[in-house]
Amino acid sequence: MNAFTPGCRHGALFAFVCLAFAIGAPGAPVRAAENDSADAANARLDPRTMMTGSWNRYPDLEEEPLPGFPPPPAIPDPPLKPEFMADWKARRKAVQDAEARGEPLYTHYTACIPDGMPAMMMAMFPMEVLQTPGQITIIQEAYNQVRRIYLNDTLPAFEDAEPLFWGHSVGHWEGDTLVVETIGVKEHVRFRDVPHGKRMRIVERLRLLSADMMEDQVTVTDPDYFTGPWTFKWMYKRRPGYKMQEYVCEANRELLDPETGGVRLKIGK
Amino acid sequence: MNAGRTRHIWRALGAGLVAAGLAATAVAHHSFAMFDHENQIKVTGKVKEFQWTNPHVYIELDGRNVKDEAGPEQHFTIECASPGILNRVGWKFNMIKPGDTITVIIAPLRSGEPGGLLKQVTLPDGRKFGNGGPAGKPNIE
Repeated sequence: MNAFTPGCRHGALFAFVCLAFAIGAPGAPVRAAENDSADAANARLDPRTMMTGSWNRYPDLEEEPLPGFPPPPAIPDPPLKPEFMADWKARRKAVQDAEARGEPLYTHYTACIPDGMPAMMMAMFPMEVLQTPGQITIIQEAYNQVRRIYLNDTLPAFEDAEPLFWGHSVGHWEGDTLVVETIGVKEHVRFRDVPHGKRMRIVERLRLLSADMMEDQVTVTDPDYFTGPWTFKWMYKRRPGYKMQEYVCEANRELLDPETGGVRLKIGK
Repeated sequence: MNAGRTRHIWRALGAGLVAAGLAATAVAHHSFAMFDHENQIKVTGKVKEFQWTNPHVYIELDGRNVKDEAGPEQHFTIECASPGILNRVGWKFNMIKPGDTITVIIAPLRSGEPGGLLKQVTLPDGRKFGNGGPAGKPNIE
């Protein structure tokens, strides 16, 4: 068992997978020669190093999907329990009605508060992944959002998890898939206005589909708010050579209009 | 306008409406529904200030609607995308300066106040720049 299979310490259940991986995986990252075919390069994909780099959401605005990489399906409605569903639907309708009136509602995001987990993984702006020993760091350019995923670490109990925007994340490898579990997201940090409680858990399965394509299969569970798992997928395309930019929300002119509850643009400085 | 381009525009409009209705935060710091994207106007004037900041870049412009040259000069606040988006479509932080005479196409505020969302800017040297994907394209020349 080599340094690239630390997840294998987790027990006999993984032994078969780990053995297969230890035999089949490259021991060290191998750079494809420039004249290699794409297939040959893919055969040497090492997800333990090759997720590192800058990524765009896929497909990006107005981007035609690539052959062989169909866009992810639309995100379904969340499986909220009936007692929460009515409020959620009412909120969504209010958002849409306000849009139709041309008076968009004021949101945390408009107030320069980061969108947190799992929303930051939609990669509205470019996203950077950094793989270092024992840790994977994901940076979202919008709002300088950073999440740190500790490999082969353990999560705190729900009641001990300090509520945070990006929660607490641990990860391990299952073959070529990075499995990340996140808990401890602040209750007001809501993706698509979906309410959640202290027992929400986000499980992500990140996987390279090719040297330059990656997917994040997301499953959100919450025994207090959901009737079952809420699953959806995001995809990313590598953005070679991109240098991430800073983003400090220093001069927000979108202000809350107390009369309408909507956004008002401040005219003049 | 040829049929292919028309189809493209309708598809873009449809995608925009879906995005605006379902996931406003997926495209920007805030929804752009407060701007009238249908009735765009063209304004020429002199830059008072160019503010290169997040969450948005702003141009403060003293200008006139080109369709009303006899009308009074007004002060316009023009919202652009973010520095990150604009850098990605070729802008530079110093490409607009106070005193520059520029022409902009904007989606005006629905409120009627003198402001709008940039669709396209023409610099003194004639170069034209869009405002990045989320803000959408000009629908007038």
